Amino acid sequence: MLTTLPHLRIRRPSPTTAEFTVTTLPPPTLSLRILRTILIVFRLLLLLSICTVLSSRWLQSPFAQPLDTYPLWPRTWASTDTLWYIAGCLHRSRLGIALGGLAARIPLPLLVPGAATLCYGIALRVHSSESLLVLRGLGVQTSESPRTYLASAATRFIPTEKIQDIFVNEAFRGFEVRYYLVVVVEGEEDVVVVFPGLLPRRHIVEKVWREARECLYEKAPRGGIE
Amino acid sequence: MHPFSVLAIGIFISGYITARWDLVTRLYELAIFAWEYGVVARAAQGFALLTTIFFGIFVPVALVAQKETKLVFLHENSYGGEDPFKLGAGDRLRARQHDGLMRVFWPTDVPKSDRPGVVVGWRNSNLDVFVVAILDDTDPRNVEFHLKAGTLFRNSPYPPAHFYELCGHTSMHVLGVSNVVDPTTADPSWVCARSNPTLQVPIITCPKASSVQIILYDRPQPQGMQYISLNPIALALGDQNGEEGVKSEDQESAEETQERKAKEAKRKLVEKLKLHTITKRIPSARDKALPKIVNQVNWSFELEKTLQKNVGRLGPRPKRSLSVSERVVESAATMRNFVHMQLLDLFAAYVFPIIQKTFIFFLLGHRILAEMLLAVLEFRIKPGSAALKDISATAQQIEIRLQQFCYWPMQYVTLRKRNTNWASITTSHPDYIRFYNSLWLVANDVIIGLALGSYIIEHADWVAEQVNDILRKYTVEALQSSISWLMGWPAGLKLNAELATFLGDLFLWVIDYWSNCVYMLSPSLPKIVWFVGFSSFAGASMPIALVSDFVSALTVHIYSFYLASARIYHWQLTILVSLFHLFRGKKHNVLRNRIDSCDYDLDQLLVGTILFTVLFFLLPTVVVFYLNFAVARMIIIALKAVFDTLLSCLNHFPLFALMLRVKDPRRLPGGIRFELRDTQNNLNSDPNSPDIPRGTPTSVIYFKSIPLPFEVMFQQYFQMAQRIRKHYFSPRVLLCLVTGKFVPPIDRRNLYSLQYSMLPARRATVGEMWRAVSVELSQTRRKSAQRPFNPSMQNWGKRAGNGRARAYH
Repeated sequence: MLTTLPHLRIRRPSPTTAEFTVTTLPPPTLSLRILRTILIVFRLLLLLSICTVLSSRWLQSPFAQPLDTYPLWPRTWASTDTLWYIAGCLHRSRLGIALGGLAARIPLPLLVPGAATLCYGIALRVHSSESLLVLRGLGVQTSESPRTYLASAATRFIPTEKIQDIFVNEAFRGFEVRYYLVVVVEGEEDVVVVFPGLLPRRHIVEKVWREARECLYEKAPRGGIE
Repeated sequence: MHPFSVLAIGIFISGYITARWDLVTRLYELAIFAWEYGVVARAAQGFALLTTIFFGIFVPVALVAQKETKLVFLHENSYGGEDPFKLGAGDRLRARQHDGLMRVFWPTDVPKSDRPGVVVGWRNSNLDVFVVAILDDTDPRNVEFHLKAGTLFRNSPYPPAHFYELCGHTSMHVLGVSNVVDPTTADPSWVCARSNPTLQVPIITCPKASSVQIILYDRPQPQGMQYISLNPIALALGDQNGEEGVKSEDQESAEETQERKAKEAKRKLVEKLKLHTITKRIPSARDKALPKIVNQVNWSFELEKTLQKNVGRLGPRPKRSLSVSERVVESAATMRNFVHMQLLDLFAAYVFPIIQKTFIFFLLGHRILAEMLLAVLEFRIKPGSAALKDISATAQQIEIRLQQFCYWPMQYVTLRKRNTNWASITTSHPDYIRFYNSLWLVANDVIIGLALGSYIIEHADWVAEQVNDILRKYTVEALQSSISWLMGWPAGLKLNAELATFLGDLFLWVIDYWSNCVYMLSPSLPKIVWFVGFSSFAGASMPIALVSDFVSALTVHIYSFYLASARIYHWQLTILVSLFHLFRGKKHNVLRNRIDSCDYDLDQLLVGTILFTVLFFLLPTVVVFYLNFAVARMIIIALKAVFDTLLSCLNHFPLFALMLRVKDPRRLPGGIRFELRDTQNNLNSDPNSPDIPRGTPTSVIYFKSIPLPFEVMFQQYFQMAQRIRKHYFSPRVLLCLVTGKFVPPIDRRNLYSLQYSMLPARRATVGEMWRAVSVELSQTRRKSAQRPFNPSMQNWGKRAGNGRARAYH
């Protein structure tokens, strides 16, 4: 529901520059927006509860100071006391007590890795998108969206001089044959696979291949072999 | 022509005619004679013939030739190739690149004013321009002239040849004009830029371009040592490969051979992939310009500074005289400078040389000592055998420190050279990072070592007691108890009691003897601990290396037990295998290296089978002893691996690079990337520009530098881990363990390639260092001699005569 099959989006402001993006993000409709908002709220709530569980576990340990020193609403609004006060309120609430009970019951070697795994799960992106930017005279650039919200996109730029060839190749993957776009880089052992994670269907790959070649290389002067 | 000169010429001609009237009459007669004899008619005929030939033959030939040259240009696509200024003929032909793509590199920090100006930069090829600066309120022809003559760089502090060479041109060019009223007056290959404070990206048009790429770039600050590069910055020294190539075949370990073979196979595959490509594309000038453009980006900031500073030479500009208060401030500043300079000169003339000389002699003395020590550490009895530094961790640690001390002066001298040239030269930046990284690591090491050392010295007795306890408990008692456990049918295993007792007694006897030695050591243990603590004032890595060596020395007995039990186990296993062959009626043919059938006699078979049975039943007893010592040995190896990891962290952690990465990621370039910006909104939302030609589609691209990824910073650690993993966690090692063969320890040279990656393969000799240091010395002396006595005084004297010169220089 939140994702679709990988589909192609092309941005081409001038005939010599094009960006091909393969993404699983569906077109923005109202229902999708509502769903995403709900998801974000759910993730935030989950994060908050994980924090509460961890902090209550910390409070149960003999090293921590009790939070009872912040019973009143602090005078100034923007201070760390406010945070402590809110934390204290959270811990004294019924949900906080329940979470504290939960924290007390789970052994520590299980609690910490579990919390870390959940936090990683919260940070995971729902959609992934991979793109190929073609600039005539400069080269091509592949980029992949990172798996989590914390990292930045990984890009790889290949200058035109180094591009030996661009072609569509096929490979077995499980019980199917996948067609994928490959950039062969001169003087390198490994080829660069475009859209390595999503591996879109053949018609998309073919279209990107045609347009990328047309965009990257100027036409031969006398209309002969290109 | 001026009327006066016309009058003068008229007077001269009339005077000449009157003076030489006879000549004129002769000429008249000659003309009549020629007319009568048909000379004029013949001349007219000749003229007509030549004209026909010219129009009929020469003009078409010239046209055809012109067309052909144009075709050749287009075909090779090398118009305006490597040196556009040399291709003047091509320029006159005005052949346009047939795709009409205009590429403009535009700095993001150009002031967005709406005043007319001249766009100055590099023209890499006809439609490929790199904008460095916009000079406001100037005339393009004038700027072009001054750029060609190089007047704008005449007073620059360092020679301009550097950037001309790196940017690949012999002069800067006028690329176009900005904010002109009438764009039609400009040259057709010029860029017409329009910008105003509301526009994010300037609107760029060019009559010859059919599409435009505007590539916005951020200027790296050369003073802050920021730069961009196509390849990731190399934190390790690059000259290690040469050393590895020299390594002979027999030194190569099995993994390396395997790696090399895999590489060969892959290289062949890559060669095959090349055959796959049918058409070989000749890269155009625009494609080849990228390395040049990277240099131009790096130089852009400094060049713009210089241009803007010297723009006053282009012509008269508005000036303002100083107010009284400003004059007072200036004279006070001059006085202060004067006193300052005097003091500095006194210091430079008398005190500084003495300090410098002493320091250099100290350095050289230290260097000679280091050289002698290094010779001892690197001494090999015969080539290929182990030197002291290959055996002992302490020796290696001392060697690394000495090498670093030897390398620092050389590094410092190279870094000093950076100050005497343009800041945009980026070649020494990795050196800078390496130098300060190693300095910082040593400082850190010493600081941690001071803390550790003072703690150990203060609590020497307690520490000695603990060490003694640990030694007794783990190297003697634990071993003794485990052996006695093995002697008494461990875990319900029915071992052969007699053999177990024999083996156990043997080992226990040796342990008893060893424990006596250890107890003899214990009174002197506080002294040893004190020594280790004292050594840590030289850095925390020293006690770690010492402890690592002590651990190897104090566990020699375990090592020898392991060797002995492995030997016994291996023999027994070999005998069992050959007896098993006998049992089957086969034997191993050594000559052919295969199993042959063999007819044994009955007594042979009988004795062999009995022996096989006996040995087979004795095997478990030997196995448990072997396993016991093998596990102990593995624990010691793991312990030493921990020490080695600690050492490599203390010696080569990329601390400085990490800090730089956090502080200013642009100082650690890891490549480049581009970002396509949306332009449609930008163009449509601007109502003041209805006359944008719709025919020139424009794409706006943002050019960025990628900061070095963390994986690349720690790549050497990954490599080392990979090597260790390949060596110790391979099936071969497991096979060795199972069959009781000796597991060879990993070659220290391999393991420590990381340690040496920060040091040059060959260290400079004492003579070279002396030369480098003395050259540096003489340079500083010359500089101090050349220092102008009082630069502000010169301005002071000039001011009365030429106010403009002061205001704009």
